[in-house]
Amino acid sequence: GYALVALGPSLSLFIAVISKKPFLILTLLSSTLVWLISLIILSGIWRAFLPLNSTTWWPFAILIFTSIAFQEGLRLLFWKVYKRLEDILDAFADKVSKPRLYLTDKMQIALAGGLGHGVAHAVFFCLSLLTPAFGPATYFVDRCSQIPFFLVSAIIALAFVTVHTFSMVIAFNGYAEGNKVDQLFVPSVHLAAGMMVIFYFCSHVYATPSCSVSEPYYVQ
Amino acid sequence: MESSILESIGQEIIGVMSPVSLCMLLVVLLVYSLSDSNPFSSSSAPIRTAANLVYLENPSDTTAQKLEGALLNALVFVILIAIVTFVLVLLYYYNFTNFLKNYMRFSAFFVLGTMGGSIFLSIIQHFSIPIDSITCFLLLFNYTIVGVLSMFSGGMPIVLRQGYMVSLGIIVATWFTKLPEWTTWVLLVALALYDLVAVLAPGGPLKLLVELASSRDEELPALVYEARPTVARNEGNPRSTLGLLVAGVSDSGSVELQAVSNNNIRRDGAENRRSPEYTAIQVRNLENVEGERNRDEGERSPLVGHSRERYSSDSNSSEYSTVIHNRESETSVDEEMSPLVDLLGMDNEREHERRDSVVASRGIKLGLGDFVFYSVLVGRAAMYDLMTVYACYLAIISGLGCTLILLSVCHRALPALPISITLGVIFYFLTRLLMEPFVVGMATNLMMF
Repeated sequence: GYALVALGPSLSLFIAVISKKPFLILTLLSSTLVWLISLIILSGIWRAFLPLNSTTWWPFAILIFTSIAFQEGLRLLFWKVYKRLEDILDAFADKVSKPRLYLTDKMQIALAGGLGHGVAHAVFFCLSLLTPAFGPATYFVDRCSQIPFFLVSAIIALAFVTVHTFSMVIAFNGYAEGNKVDQLFVPSVHLAAGMMVIFYFCSHVYATPSCSVSEPYYVQ
Repeated sequence: MESSILESIGQEIIGVMSPVSLCMLLVVLLVYSLSDSNPFSSSSAPIRTAANLVYLENPSDTTAQKLEGALLNALVFVILIAIVTFVLVLLYYYNFTNFLKNYMRFSAFFVLGTMGGSIFLSIIQHFSIPIDSITCFLLLFNYTIVGVLSMFSGGMPIVLRQGYMVSLGIIVATWFTKLPEWTTWVLLVALALYDLVAVLAPGGPLKLLVELASSRDEELPALVYEARPTVARNEGNPRSTLGLLVAGVSDSGSVELQAVSNNNIRRDGAENRRSPEYTAIQVRNLENVEGERNRDEGERSPLVGHSRERYSSDSNSSEYSTVIHNRESETSVDEEMSPLVDLLGMDNEREHERRDSVVASRGIKLGLGDFVFYSVLVGRAAMYDLMTVYACYLAIISGLGCTLILLSVCHRALPALPISITLGVIFYFLTRLLMEPFVVGMATNLMMF
């Protein structure tokens, strides 16, 4: 159940669009790998500071900020690699005298890349923690005691999958056309989503049921 | 509107990756379901196998002892495998091929029967399936017989054969995961190194085997997974587009990867253990691809007629066992840098003289041992946590992709193990040590990005 909440839309997207074209599957796998590597590097950097003191919120803010900055940098790198790939593919298409890559093709590649990122996020932040959920009880986190932890993580994962998937498409489009607005839109969305988690920290200050308030923000 | 190239690139890579993924997935599931049932009994009664000859691991030993014992175990195992491979090469050299074939049939039967049987029994036990012993025995017997038939004789649908290959890999991998932890990891690394040496070094047994087989123009006496494309998806279905893609970049020809594994059984006490070896053969197969690709366009007209012939001959031979395209590979070394068109012209003549011989099946071939050891790595990662499973899975798949790309660049036999296993082991330890505290700590505090 939880797994489907987190991964439902991405699964349907996968089956509808990506599974038909093997190249997109490869793109998906490679972007997932890139995300994983970024996560490992980040955790390597931050390992020295763990476990963080969980009562104050600003270490977490720095953590999230650096992580997001790193990932956006990687997105740019991904874009550069993609440009080169596009050239190779076009040369190949000319060689076998098939038409060059259409705009929809390019968008599909971007979509697959974004989906890879999103799926990696969902997998690592949500699915791998789900094994205790098979048991009889459920688990509530201190900070947010209204909704079971698994549901929270599933919903957040769902939101992030969407964010990642479409931000990749938008970002590629933005880089391609040199459109500044588009280019800045993506990191800011990512940042905003990341910063929303800070809401959770303010719960103990404001003593409001903030996680059930923040959840709808996420889904939007 | 013509179909874009995006539809068809990378098809044969997926053809290899999906059975590997499937195998890994099933092994993980099996490991999860079977390890839950007896968490204590398996560790309290460790089985003495070939891999455990020297040192039997005990959870209460010190780290240094465990490491030393694991190293010794791995060393012994690799030496045993090397000896067996050399014996195999000798037998093949002296043309004991019939003996080899029968031995392999027997060993496949035995593995499917006994190991598969015991896994079957533990599944029944775990899920409390109400089934009586006679039915069980009959089912198992049928399964085994069909497996042996499908693997070693022609005339069987390729899907069945592929399915049995995958299930054989699953069975052997599940058995390997019963080894103690340190031994498993050191063993994997040792095997990767051995594979590297055995295939690439001049005296390596696998290299000798491959050369012998190719010089005799026969199939290898081994268990090989063939990822033949079973259905032509669309009109211009190219078989080895990866090679052609690389050709677009580097002006070399397209390739066919054959990774072969030899499976041998050694009796050791009460256990039977399969020790696979691997190699990969590179075969040039350029003109097929070009021909098929341009079937519709007819641009290179001498090619059109030629390609039609080839297409029909391939469909006849689609059920034959594999034959390596050796004559091409001999000339391929000279032609490496020549432009594509010349190659096609030459191949036109070659094709005519080879009208009657069996055409090699296209598609990528991967040795069964690779399946087994990838799955062992992932299964062992599954025993720790699900996150390591994903990390190792991604690492292995990317290693496999790298190996395939490397293969299309350098036209030689390549071992499929080292890159993937190195990446897998690195990622496993990185994830376990670095990433997990990070992610779990953040997720339980509901920090996600």
